[in-house]
Amino acid sequence: MYTQESTRAAARGLIDAIPDVVEEFRCPICKKASASYDSLRRHYDECHQEDIPPMMVALTLNGRHTELLVPQHWSLQRALQFKLGLTGAKHMCDKGVCGSCTVIIDGSPALSCTTLVVECHGKDILTVEGIAADATWKPLVDAYCRWDAMQCGYCTPGFLVTAKALLDRNPNPTIEECNEALAGNICICGTYPRHATAIVEAALKIAEDSQAKGGAA
Amino acid sequence: MRPFSHANAQTVHEASVQLSSGNAKAIAGGTDLLGTLKDNLLPIYPDKVVNLKAIKNLDYVKQEQSLLRIGSLTKLSAISEHPVIKEKYSALSQAAGSVATPHIRNMATIGGNLAQLPRCWYFRKADNRFNCIRKGGEECFAILGDNRYHSIFGGSRCADTPCMSQCPAGTNIPAYLEEIRKDNWDKAAEIFLSAHPFPMITGRVCAHFCQSACNRHQTDEGVLTGGVERALGDYILENSDKFYKKPTKETNKSVAVVGSGPAGLTAAYFLRRAGNKVTVYERMDCAGGMLRYAIPAYRLPKDIVEKIISILENMGIEFVLGHDFANGITPEKLEKEYDGVCYATGAWKRPIVGISGEELTVFGLDFLVEVRKWMDGKVGEEVLVVGGGNVAMDVAVTAKRLGARKVTLACVEPRERMPASSEEIARAEAEGIVIMPSWGPSKVIENNGVLNGMELKRCVSVVGDDGTFNPQYDENEQLVVSAQNILLAIGQRVDLSFLGDKYHLQLNERGLIDVDADSQRTSRPGVFAAGDATTGPATVVSAVSNGKKAADGLCLHLGISTQQDNPGGCASVTVDANGITCTTSLKLRELDINKRTLETEDSQTPGVQEAEKEAKRCLNCGCYAVSPSDIAPALIALNAQIVTHERTINAEDFFNAGVMTSTTLGFDEIITEIIIPALPDGAKSVFKKMALRKSIDFPIINFAIVTGSEPRISLGAVAPHPLRAMEAEQVLRGKTLDEKLAGQVGEAAVRDATPFESTKYKVQILKTLIKRALLELA
Repeated sequence: MYTQESTRAAARGLIDAIPDVVEEFRCPICKKASASYDSLRRHYDECHQEDIPPMMVALTLNGRHTELLVPQHWSLQRALQFKLGLTGAKHMCDKGVCGSCTVIIDGSPALSCTTLVVECHGKDILTVEGIAADATWKPLVDAYCRWDAMQCGYCTPGFLVTAKALLDRNPNPTIEECNEALAGNICICGTYPRHATAIVEAALKIAEDSQAKGGAA
Repeated sequence: MRPFSHANAQTVHEASVQLSSGNAKAIAGGTDLLGTLKDNLLPIYPDKVVNLKAIKNLDYVKQEQSLLRIGSLTKLSAISEHPVIKEKYSALSQAAGSVATPHIRNMATIGGNLAQLPRCWYFRKADNRFNCIRKGGEECFAILGDNRYHSIFGGSRCADTPCMSQCPAGTNIPAYLEEIRKDNWDKAAEIFLSAHPFPMITGRVCAHFCQSACNRHQTDEGVLTGGVERALGDYILENSDKFYKKPTKETNKSVAVVGSGPAGLTAAYFLRRAGNKVTVYERMDCAGGMLRYAIPAYRLPKDIVEKIISILENMGIEFVLGHDFANGITPEKLEKEYDGVCYATGAWKRPIVGISGEELTVFGLDFLVEVRKWMDGKVGEEVLVVGGGNVAMDVAVTAKRLGARKVTLACVEPRERMPASSEEIARAEAEGIVIMPSWGPSKVIENNGVLNGMELKRCVSVVGDDGTFNPQYDENEQLVVSAQNILLAIGQRVDLSFLGDKYHLQLNERGLIDVDADSQRTSRPGVFAAGDATTGPATVVSAVSNGKKAADGLCLHLGISTQQDNPGGCASVTVDANGITCTTSLKLRELDINKRTLETEDSQTPGVQEAEKEAKRCLNCGCYAVSPSDIAPALIALNAQIVTHERTINAEDFFNAGVMTSTTLGFDEIITEIIIPALPDGAKSVFKKMALRKSIDFPIINFAIVTGSEPRISLGAVAPHPLRAMEAEQVLRGKTLDEKLAGQVGEAAVRDATPFESTKYKVQILKTLIKRALLELA
């Protein structure tokens, strides 16, 4: 049975499983293993001159420093899903229209389907799993549940990431500001009326929580 | 996406070098390029993607004295939220803030927005399903397709239309059709005559490559350009004084043209038009060459040819008829006595086949030339014509109309490869001529010098592996066709023996006069050549085409500039929104088969209404997709400059609907900065966008207005590139804004709109939103 706690733990597990370094340099074409990236590149120069070799990308993901070995043409969404098992950023329209793949890159919400993973070298990325694993954002998840701002749930991670990014830069948004920030997230089930209310309620609770901890809101 | 390799450019120069080497595309925000790659909609998938985002110092907004400078890699979200831009350049902030979604605005750059590719749904269909004009193809699918989001101000001619490229004379067909549908017949005539002097001839006898190439064939029936051309030609003929005038200035140079067929007459016309003294020498008793002697009267009436000759005489061209080189004029003499010479002597010689009994057959061309003599009962009951081209068709139909009971036509080509045009084949078959393709001549069957018929053998292939004419036969498959006359129409040879042995004129390997392809210059200075004498038997229109080239080449040689004005060479093109919906083409009115004769024309010239209706079916092929950028109209209204690493361009001149581009940028040219001058005192700016949804969607219409003493209004998403609404600006300038004036400005902005049926709604929306925007500013 899914509870918030079990989901938070599962998200934490996925994040902990993000590898620090690339362990295996196996050629995707002929499956031959190489000891290092440089020797994999030499293998390509010798045996696969017509093909494009994968690249190494080092980035910070949900607070973990990681290195990935990825094809040069892959989107960030594809790398998250297939290299790291982080399926929160969804493959939906895959053309930058629906927002289901939203992640936060260097503090601002962006579309992982329209971002090349090789261009994320050195960047700081947060996915919905990072929000799920972080108890600070429990009020946002609570508010979404209380306001039933989801139906099939497929677009919900995208909305949550956009909402979190909004609250980061504007801790006290109006309903209109919420709707404007969410203008890039599509919901086919039609939950639109619920989100802004949930976010405003979450904002109030988060402000209350941080005051209670003794810090300024 | 299919794989590509990715490279980070560290500098603009490095990026430019990467883009110019091979198959590479630049990526900035990625919000345009990646979509095109995922949908595989480009004609060629790039091998390499060059990342511009690693280039430093292109992401900034700076105020320097009175100028606002924005780096090309600045994100749209930064631009829309920048306090200085919000306050002082509101149109730009509003435009940037209206683009797509907040997520995209966080990723997209202003440079990328300006350089984005069209968003037309035919252009954007996956897997390059529609290889349209903007991708290097030939057709705009929106014109007859679903064009509800397309232009209301006409299209953009990004490339030569297929009809123009297939016309050997390069006639600007869409331009003259555009004038005809506007009922400007005189302007249409001017456009036509600048390329080609005889539409009344080619309107009747041309093979009409333009018609076969017409893009409408893909949808319904192509435009009957030849019919419209014929109507225009007859109009020109009726008003010949207006159109064929003596030149205004004489050059005092003299030119001799040898041969008065279509090539010679065309060369003479253009040479005379340029002001030279022109003398045409003709071997036969009448002028016209093939036009007079070979093409039968039922296709081209002789009085038309005569009228043309007298028109040319009225222009001051001298004709010397019945003059053979045997009678004292030598090529050497011509060279000496004239400043230039042009040989257009055609191809009139009978080729030898080499079959036994050949001497009993008749050369088809002689038959046509002497047709009057044949009317005295020389044609037998059964006639066999050998040959598969238009001359053979003319010979066969003429023989039938002379009274032959049975006319058979045999040719080595299979039916689909017969050189004759489909119209001529249809005409022959309609009159009962039996066509036997893939049969070649074997031997003549005779009895003591009396012709009985011909033995034919099966032709199994016509063209060899190397593409040359090399018919192969199956000697075992034979049959005999009985005939009292055998007419051979299997081509003509060029006879240059009149030049004499001592006159050295270079010939090519086929024995034709060797000429330079662009100028028709021969190996002798000042001597040019045109027509069948240089190409072998071809078409009237190709004779006209190289006749003109020879005239231009000769004028250049004589130091005379031929004004290469191109009346009607406009880049902006329109259609008749209603006229294009007619799916059936004009058909020429033709005489019943049993009423046809040798002397009267088989078909009639279309009337003015019919011709205009057919001209309205022309799609005026060009791109009718709209410019999708929201930033573009704001920059144009703000009078911005766009800086690349090579030059600075005013925003108004920056956008251009071209093949695989929306700008005038070179393929390796990179935008670095946008510079916006301060608005004049008291001026305000506004940007409005109307889209289906408040967010995500591309504009249905958008526009930007800058008020003040020099108002500027720029319209986007209503034309292939953003427009300045000059007339609307004039209405606004210097007046106090009230509701009535605001309405007038809106109306002025849409006055020249020429929408399709499904884009009419855009006109109302644009007009109304302009009015509202102005009233908000007041």
